[in-house]
Amino acid sequence: MSTPVVELRNISKYFAKVIANKNVSFSVQKGEVVALLGENGAGKSTIMKILYGLYNADEGQILIRGEERSVRSPKDAVTLGIAMIQQHFSLVPTHTATENIILGNVKGKIALKQYDEKIRTLAETYGFDVPVDVKVGELAVGVQQKVEILKALYLNAEILIMDEPTAVLTPQESDSLMKFIRNFAAQGHSVIFITHKLKEVMAAADRIVVMRDGAVVGNVLKSETNEHELAKLMIGRALDAVTRADAGVVPEAQPLLELSHVSLTRKGEPALLDDVSFSVHAGEIFGIAGVSGNGQDAVCEVICGSQKITDGTITFCGENIRDKSVRERIDAGIGYVPVDRYRDGLIMDMTLAENMMLKTSFDKRWTNRGFLSRKRLSQYTGDIIRNYRVKATGPDEPAKSLSGGNQQKMVLAREIDVGTKVILLNQPARGLDMGAVERIHASVLEERKKGKGVLLISTELSEIFEMADRIAVMYKGKIMGIYQNGTLSTEKIGLLMAGYTEGTEGTEHEA
Amino acid sequence: MKRKMGDVLLFNIGAVIVGLVISACMLLFMKINPLQVSALAVGKILSDGYTLGEVLVKATPLIFTALAFAFTFKANLFNIGAQGQFYAGSIAAVTLSLLLGDVLPNPMLILVVLAATFAAGGLVGALIGWAKARFSANEFLISMMSTYVVSALMQYLLRTILRESKGEYLQTDPISANAYLATIIPGTRVHVGFLIAIAAAVGVWVLLYKTPMGFRIRAVGCNANAAEIAGICSKKVFVIAFLISGGLAGIAGLTEINGVQHMLLQDFNSSIGSLGIGIAILANGNPIGVIFAALLFGFLNVMGITMGRLPGFNIPSSIIDLIEGIVMICVIASYFLRNYVELRREKKLLKKESEQSC
Amino acid sequence: MLNILYRAIMMSTPLMLGALGEVYAERTGMMVTAIEGIFLMGAWGGFVGTYLTGSTACGLLLAMLCGLLTAALYGVITVYMRQQQIVTGTAINILAGGFCAYFQRVLFGIPTSPLKISVLPRIAIPVLSKIPVIGEVLFRQNIMTYFAFLLIPISYFVLFKTSLGLTLRSTGENPEAVDVAGINVNRVRFLTVLMAGVIGGLAGSFYTVGYLGMFTTGIIGGRGWIAFAICFLGNWNPKGAVIGTLVFGLADALSIFIQSVSGGSAFPNELIIALPYILTIVLTVCRKSFNVPAKLGVPYCKEG
Repeated sequence: MSTPVVELRNISKYFAKVIANKNVSFSVQKGEVVALLGENGAGKSTIMKILYGLYNADEGQILIRGEERSVRSPKDAVTLGIAMIQQHFSLVPTHTATENIILGNVKGKIALKQYDEKIRTLAETYGFDVPVDVKVGELAVGVQQKVEILKALYLNAEILIMDEPTAVLTPQESDSLMKFIRNFAAQGHSVIFITHKLKEVMAAADRIVVMRDGAVVGNVLKSETNEHELAKLMIGRALDAVTRADAGVVPEAQPLLELSHVSLTRKGEPALLDDVSFSVHAGEIFGIAGVSGNGQDAVCEVICGSQKITDGTITFCGENIRDKSVRERIDAGIGYVPVDRYRDGLIMDMTLAENMMLKTSFDKRWTNRGFLSRKRLSQYTGDIIRNYRVKATGPDEPAKSLSGGNQQKMVLAREIDVGTKVILLNQPARGLDMGAVERIHASVLEERKKGKGVLLISTELSEIFEMADRIAVMYKGKIMGIYQNGTLSTEKIGLLMAGYTEGTEGTEHEA
Repeated sequence: MKRKMGDVLLFNIGAVIVGLVISACMLLFMKINPLQVSALAVGKILSDGYTLGEVLVKATPLIFTALAFAFTFKANLFNIGAQGQFYAGSIAAVTLSLLLGDVLPNPMLILVVLAATFAAGGLVGALIGWAKARFSANEFLISMMSTYVVSALMQYLLRTILRESKGEYLQTDPISANAYLATIIPGTRVHVGFLIAIAAAVGVWVLLYKTPMGFRIRAVGCNANAAEIAGICSKKVFVIAFLISGGLAGIAGLTEINGVQHMLLQDFNSSIGSLGIGIAILANGNPIGVIFAALLFGFLNVMGITMGRLPGFNIPSSIIDLIEGIVMICVIASYFLRNYVELRREKKLLKKESEQSC
Repeated sequence: MLNILYRAIMMSTPLMLGALGEVYAERTGMMVTAIEGIFLMGAWGGFVGTYLTGSTACGLLLAMLCGLLTAALYGVITVYMRQQQIVTGTAINILAGGFCAYFQRVLFGIPTSPLKISVLPRIAIPVLSKIPVIGEVLFRQNIMTYFAFLLIPISYFVLFKTSLGLTLRSTGENPEAVDVAGINVNRVRFLTVLMAGVIGGLAGSFYTVGYLGMFTTGIIGGRGWIAFAICFLGNWNPKGAVIGTLVFGLADALSIFIQSVSGGSAFPNELIIALPYILTIVLTVCRKSFNVPAKLGVPYCKEG
């Protein structure tokens, strides 16, 4: 057995409230592609950040090419030939690709044109289509990722770490990335990619290291395992499939929520929403699939009222709500579980009780002669904690000390209450472990049974196929098509997500 | 939660003590024995009822300006213009007192002036809040500049319309005794204004923590995005927060004109605005804590004056500003220290737990 | 008229210097809210240095040192201790006020007549000062003004055309990216704050050593804040800062001129005094497009 190019020995890392890595050990060979698999919160990002020098391990050693090394900063890592591409890119949006790539790697006066040429050549070598003199913030997410990869290649990385690289890509873009990874490995370099998607792992990896709760629970060659085994290792038990009872229920004729030719444009920018039309009926789950950043957030924002549309109409229960304020729409019965619960869903520094009151503070039910009634609010919150089995010490616990899954449950509980007619869910399962996802899906199906209309936006195709009655696909602010669940194949939906319209498969993008 | 409160108090008080010690060492530069002087000054303060009363007198306007900063701070806004809002209130107070001083009975006059000072300060504040809401303007800069503008206005008025009949100095005529705020402790200058200040602090606390409006202000301050999605109009909150904040600072005009100075002078009480910020920080933004922190600063102020009056030593009054500045820096540094200690403590606990379980 | 223009350029000098230092600091994400205090310490240091040694050069050096130390205190608390920038700045401004007043007393007691120092001499640059109009206005200034002239193109070049500038600008937009590139974010910020302190101290000393010849505690009178505002209004760009500075310098010169002319009449010359501040408010409200560094005012917190 030759010396592994990277070896991690007994690494442990403690944060203020959690043990992120417990005695983690594994190694990577030259030319090998290793998938680091695990649920959210398993500790995969942490161990890689330690390897890359962003974090410092509390215990353990790192050996590169057989020699123990101290990696105290990314600079050390880069010198050793290690590069990492994180989930949230480390790019400066107001600078060009070239400026981003040469940051920290250039001295004195910058001959920008020269570097532009250099980077352009590098991009061509790898077949990347990257405009080098455009502000990175204006590039599509997939292209931004290529800029990040170019940065690593520019620094002659031999060990490439990628954290959830396909999270922001269409199925086709993911395939092309997997191809790049295999080519890169074939050239004698090593790749470690972090993921929670089993399909990717089986497609691209040579070996799989499974982590759970901060520790390594499995280290197997791809040839010796399968998806089922891996799933079991990942969550520690067999997963109950969520079955959709009463699938194929015919929705009511009258839609609860209707968007008709809705557009949202800002001066000088491409349209966020372009002639969007769809409707959500009572008792149905309407799913919107698509790579994130193609207008899904805008759809939620114009429905909940935080953004005003520039064209078209939005009708709710027969009434035109175009000019209604956010508060009026909440009162009318629209619930909204936003994609970013830290920014939009909860106030992390406030208590759970205060968060439950967030949307209904104008209501008389919390006040007693003008003053807040703590008792009533505490009771309400306590009931939610019990009914949804939230792991919290009580209504007065600050929201930030709950785990992600429990926080999401609180948001969902509140929105189920507020959303008496329609509930919008924007990627409700993002960042949650499978157990929490299970329970959230079960709740959503409950609400559907009660006759509410549910709009479910997701980037995970498995979630869409599992939950939705009808599916729409969004691309660059447009609805590419609306289909009954069961009539779409993964390949077809992937093409739609990438902008190919019906009848032009395999040819040009739509005009 | 309780332990956190205890930690805060411990570190803040510790910081104040460290600050005082460092300040005392500054006296060494004047070849004065700090211990001796401090003991003398403290002794004088505690023994003389009048001087002790001065602590409350000095603390009164500080409570208002500190409440002003703390209130907008809760909405994550920065009102640096409390000084200007105070001046606006002072102008209103002296104008009405001169006009109506002998017309209305004292209690009614005080109520009218109270409302007017709140309105004057509130108007300046609301304008700043409106600029922030409507134009997303940087309220920090605007409120900062507004103080200079109001100050210039005050100077103009003192030079022209409001000028004293004698025409000698840049000040107004004294207001009639009917417009005075009654003294509540005989033998001192402590006046009703102190009670109004306490009431205001309690009122602010109730407003912030017991009413839906206060909840919304705090929500916007913690996370304006989530508040907006929840249907709370942050722009309205900006204006309301600045209005109340400015109004609070304006009321200090009532306490200082009708309670202490009895006339309007140029540049009087010129640092209560910035000191209010320091007090609000020391009190961690808590309205009730503001009362105690203001009393402390009032005490430091009186101590500085007393030291300056001690025969034989020639201690300048500027030592007060020095002391206050040093104490503020120490308190800010103690915030960092407290967080650091807490983090280390939690990490150690976690390590212990994991070792035990393994 | 020429005299007013001349004075405008002169009064712009400290604002220019202060604004340039502030631009650099804010580009890395640090709002140097202690700038008023830095100006004051610089003014005091300049006065003390010149008075005690008789040499204006020593005064300027001491001014820069005072500015450096004040900025260092601010930097430690806001960069390394990660405390709130507005609050810390306010505390330091109060401290600086007390410090200068107190130590002025310690050093000089209570003088019977105000202490005076010699002021920086006007230096006429050989050929250039002979040019009609421009020559008189621009090239008969003191050495600090000439330094400011030089600093403008240099700071523009460094900020936009060099690697250092790229690093600085990136630090204010996305410190994580800079961290990942192996550069110590806090060190970049701290050093830039120190530099702003040195330049700010120099700028403050203009009022004592460069113009008035004596020291009073109110000598800065909010002008540090105007330099701060110019950084905002100039869109964090040395070019914009120049324009902003000239406008304020002109307003300042006009106000002094009108004051000397009108005296104690009913003319509201307080309005003229307040003009720079009113102008700042109006411009702050009207300015639409901003180039705000994305992470301005946000302390950099690295986990792990």
